[in-house]
Amino acid sequence: MAVDEQGSAPNAAGQVEAGTPEVPVIQAQSPPIAAKTAVPLAATALSAAIGPGHGSVDESVQAFEHPIYKTLLNVPGLSVAVASLDQLLTWGQKSALFMFPMATSCCGIEFMATAASRVDVDRMGAIVRGTPRQADVMVIAGTITVKMAPKVKRLWEQMPEPKWAVAMGSCAISGDFYRDLYPTIPGIDTVLPVDVYVPGCPPDPQSLMHGLMRLQEKIGLKRAGQWVPTEVRPETEKMTNPGVRRLIDPQRDPEVTAQQTRLALAATVDEPEGELLESGAEAVEQQLPQDLQTLLRERFEVEVFPADAAPIVARKHHLHLARTLKAMGYLNFVYVVASHWPSKDGETFEVAYAVRRTGPGTTLAQWRVQLAADEPIESLAEVWAGADWQEREQYDLVGVQFAGHPDLRRLMLSDDWQGHPLRRDYPADKACFPWR
Amino acid sequence: MATAANSPTESRYRLDQVDADADLMVLNFGPQHPSTHGVFRIKLILDGEIVIRAIPYAGYLHRGVEKLLEKLTYAQGVPIVDKNDYVSPMSNEQALVMAFEKLLKVEVPRRARYLRLIFSELQRIASHLLWLGTFALDMGGALGGGSTVFMYCFRDREGILDLFEAVTGGRFHYNTHTIGGNRHDIPLGWDKRVLAYLDMLEPRIAECESMTTNNSIFVARTQGIGLIDKDLAQGLGLSGPLLRASGVDHDLRRDAPYHAYDEVPVRVMVEQAGDCQARALVRVREMRESIRLVREALAGLPEGGINSGKIIKMPQQFKAQSGQVYAAIETPRGELGTFVIAGGGDKGTAPYRLKIRAPSLHALSALPWILPGHTISDVVVVLGSLDPIMGEVDR
Amino acid sequence: MDLIQHGFLRGIAYGLLIITVVMTATAWGMWLERKIAAQMQNRMGPMFVGFHGLLQPVADMLKLLQKEDILPAGADDWLFNLAPILTALFAIATAAVVPWSAQIVASDLDVGLLWVLALGGIMVVPVWMAGWASNNKFALIGGMRAVAQSVSYGVPLVLTSMVAVVFTGTMSLSGIVQFQMAHGWLIYWPPGPGIIAFLLFYMALLAESNRIPFDIPEAESELVAGISTEYTGMKFGMFYVAEYVHTMVGSAIAALIFLGGWDGPFHWLPGLHWMVAKTVILFVSVYWVRWTLLRFRSDQLMRLCWLYLVPMSLALLVFAAVWVTYFAA
Repeated sequence: MAVDEQGSAPNAAGQVEAGTPEVPVIQAQSPPIAAKTAVPLAATALSAAIGPGHGSVDESVQAFEHPIYKTLLNVPGLSVAVASLDQLLTWGQKSALFMFPMATSCCGIEFMATAASRVDVDRMGAIVRGTPRQADVMVIAGTITVKMAPKVKRLWEQMPEPKWAVAMGSCAISGDFYRDLYPTIPGIDTVLPVDVYVPGCPPDPQSLMHGLMRLQEKIGLKRAGQWVPTEVRPETEKMTNPGVRRLIDPQRDPEVTAQQTRLALAATVDEPEGELLESGAEAVEQQLPQDLQTLLRERFEVEVFPADAAPIVARKHHLHLARTLKAMGYLNFVYVVASHWPSKDGETFEVAYAVRRTGPGTTLAQWRVQLAADEPIESLAEVWAGADWQEREQYDLVGVQFAGHPDLRRLMLSDDWQGHPLRRDYPADKACFPWR
Repeated sequence: MATAANSPTESRYRLDQVDADADLMVLNFGPQHPSTHGVFRIKLILDGEIVIRAIPYAGYLHRGVEKLLEKLTYAQGVPIVDKNDYVSPMSNEQALVMAFEKLLKVEVPRRARYLRLIFSELQRIASHLLWLGTFALDMGGALGGGSTVFMYCFRDREGILDLFEAVTGGRFHYNTHTIGGNRHDIPLGWDKRVLAYLDMLEPRIAECESMTTNNSIFVARTQGIGLIDKDLAQGLGLSGPLLRASGVDHDLRRDAPYHAYDEVPVRVMVEQAGDCQARALVRVREMRESIRLVREALAGLPEGGINSGKIIKMPQQFKAQSGQVYAAIETPRGELGTFVIAGGGDKGTAPYRLKIRAPSLHALSALPWILPGHTISDVVVVLGSLDPIMGEVDR
Repeated sequence: MDLIQHGFLRGIAYGLLIITVVMTATAWGMWLERKIAAQMQNRMGPMFVGFHGLLQPVADMLKLLQKEDILPAGADDWLFNLAPILTALFAIATAAVVPWSAQIVASDLDVGLLWVLALGGIMVVPVWMAGWASNNKFALIGGMRAVAQSVSYGVPLVLTSMVAVVFTGTMSLSGIVQFQMAHGWLIYWPPGPGIIAFLLFYMALLAESNRIPFDIPEAESELVAGISTEYTGMKFGMFYVAEYVHTMVGSAIAALIFLGGWDGPFHWLPGLHWMVAKTVILFVSVYWVRWTLLRFRSDQLMRLCWLYLVPMSLALLVFAAVWVTYFAA
């Protein structure tokens, strides 16, 4: 049915919010009264977006049809001919659904499997087109992140009417278990109207095909003049601010930030206190080779070799150690992990590095560097090229500064993101979710 | 043309602010493009069709998995990581539980280790099949010979999904590994089904080879394209088939054996050229090698329990107050590692910090080094040959 | 009566007939391709719409007719709208001079071959119009590629057709066929060069009709949809149809000038059957190649054309001239 949000109000930015609660769900032949009661909450927004008269065929939502179509309908006697023509057109629309794969993650693989030999969605005339301009159905397959959502919205707007959306998989429907996390949106229906939900994680190929067949039914109903009422997902209704405002406005709401900080201090800082537990007391063996231990002890002033972790190297030796290791044949860069250690006195950071000597009998050299708050660490991007992106990721997620890095930008999150999500005081839970 | 960059650090970022008057074109390749294998964006700066500079942008699928894993207990993490590298979920689970087992000092029985090996190798075949299909799709288009290879590969991949479904009940995300063993033992007659499937698969791989790696157009499109030399591959931290295609003889299955790889030795496939063709050849040979490994492991599959006895009844059972552990396995994409700092959650029931070392992220970081000098057509081929999975890159 | 038989009314009637026949044939050509591709890929292809999906092309066209017509921001509206119309027009116009048998021919021009080649060559103009006017970088690159490819492969296409012209001494398509009925098909007479000329023509035909392995202007995996990236609804449909018409007319021309047209091994079957059978076989073979091979890169494509196809065509042309001058007489 694909309600055209832009059709009734030209202002896209303002329209997004008003249009979003109106989320169509497939529902066969509900009477008009049921339709009215099914949309209790956001009625004002809906009437602005769709107009009154929910139970009948709404003129405004059929804006994509040529005016002559309406005129023809009013000519007496012609309606008989038009009715059969209409059936023909409906049949045409139903039988040739070109899909646009908005495939982001796992469901995209199952989407491909749907097009592949076993299920072969081509049987029902549905083929995949790479450009939104030639597609009828957008299949949103996979998690949609806050960073991706505006792009999905734009691709949706680039599709010509009449168009439909299928939300495939629980991530696209509700966000799944990522829904309360900072980077994902709680369901694609907060961004664009969805016609058919195909549940599953991921849904089987045959489920997707079933969903497409339900969509065909829905198209038939719509063309026959039966308004398929919109049904708001209860979760979407509960959202107080389901718009995409934050995506447009780079400045976050200060109240959210304040609440975030408050909750953070109350809930998520883990103080290492209390009694030691049974399995945690055991030491974890580390496989730091003996020659490396000797090297670290003699040349890099490392005294302590903890049994369950990598040795801590002073920051002043860090870069020199890296160069020495590379000269020793540790060519393969493995990881950089920064971690955040808040306490009552302030906060510290710890950065763990590992590099590998490849080949038979491979050895791993691991070391750690401890940093005070706001203290930068020398970047290893010039020693190992692979450190470049890894350090960018850690800068992005933990907020450690890497001095001398050639290009210290955020890697995962958008450039205007506030805060560093993998810090311990950055809550992942929904109370601070920027969407609400 | 098409030589590996030696010092891109000073040159590769300069054109980020390319001036508008220059006779260059900026082409945004992605984030939604038929050939980006998910949501990934490369800003290409083009002179005609030649790429002058390539600036990749990741993070369109960043889902906050590491943050989520800090909030869950150790046992709850397994189904979450299934979705990271969604082309080989088995490998994800193994990488995670192996780190936890190392941290919590849990022994895995021999039968479970064999089963893990079998799952991991079957998963490698499935993943490489999917790679071969999509790689051909990149080169031959959705309306052409590429899609035929794609259909063949998907048809054969379905067989492995069926086998996994018979064991775990899940077609795609399995949640079959637990700390200290496996959750599901194989059903009766499963090994015969596997062997029958492998017998069927071998000629089909040959069929796909004749349409791809033995095809002269394929060779013309891949030979000398996307060169990564040995030093660059090592420095970027590439691993798996990418590293082996660049002439580095390294495979964690042989060099740091886990599971039962010390009992079922692996022959490592190495190519010297370092171009897209070498990567394709390495992967196709690895499929054959995996078939051999599965057969051997099935023949030597020991009897016994599949669990350490510490069956998960309550997620709170596993606690670790301190310790930092890194465990890595060789997935179809390379070294997938899990770095865990213990001591988070309620009295050490959850990781304090967990980092997933994703091979695909390292693979993609090679792009600015190898793309300049190639045409747009080659961009697609190079990207396909790196076999990135965005779920793993962005996590 | 005179007006009907010789005037423009007859022309209009023939024109409508050609459009109807060509469009119908093309529509089921599409269906045939989808079914063949599906069978090659262990699939079924269209099944739900009509018996074995026979009505699928009808449904596709009906749906495309109903789609919204979008003019992208910043697009050149005149060129943008004109391009698909011209593409379809030129493609269908080539069909006008194709003789389907000795009797069934709309317009038997005495320069019929030249007409077809000229219209095939001018096809590049609307394609470039589409690429330029779309205000889309993928379409622009696709357009540039299409121009380069079409201009380059036009050369061997024309040269190899000229081989046939030199052998037969006429540019009339029915004249070429009549010569072959008298002297044997060009593909085997004279032995050797005929088959080479046919193969070169076939390759150039694949390139001219943008079929794999020469489909770089469209190249879905690289350029999303090439020149038609921004086109919606029936405008996209026109490009789509034009491609198929182009392939079909090309197959018909190849059948006419190399495979003896409506000539067959025995003559009790009307010539139309032979002609249609040859065209369909060539048409199917184009799609067989398409669904088997991968795609060349653009520079490899150019190299193949200018370093191999063009010199070989030239050599063939010289050989044909020598043969006709010294041996055929």
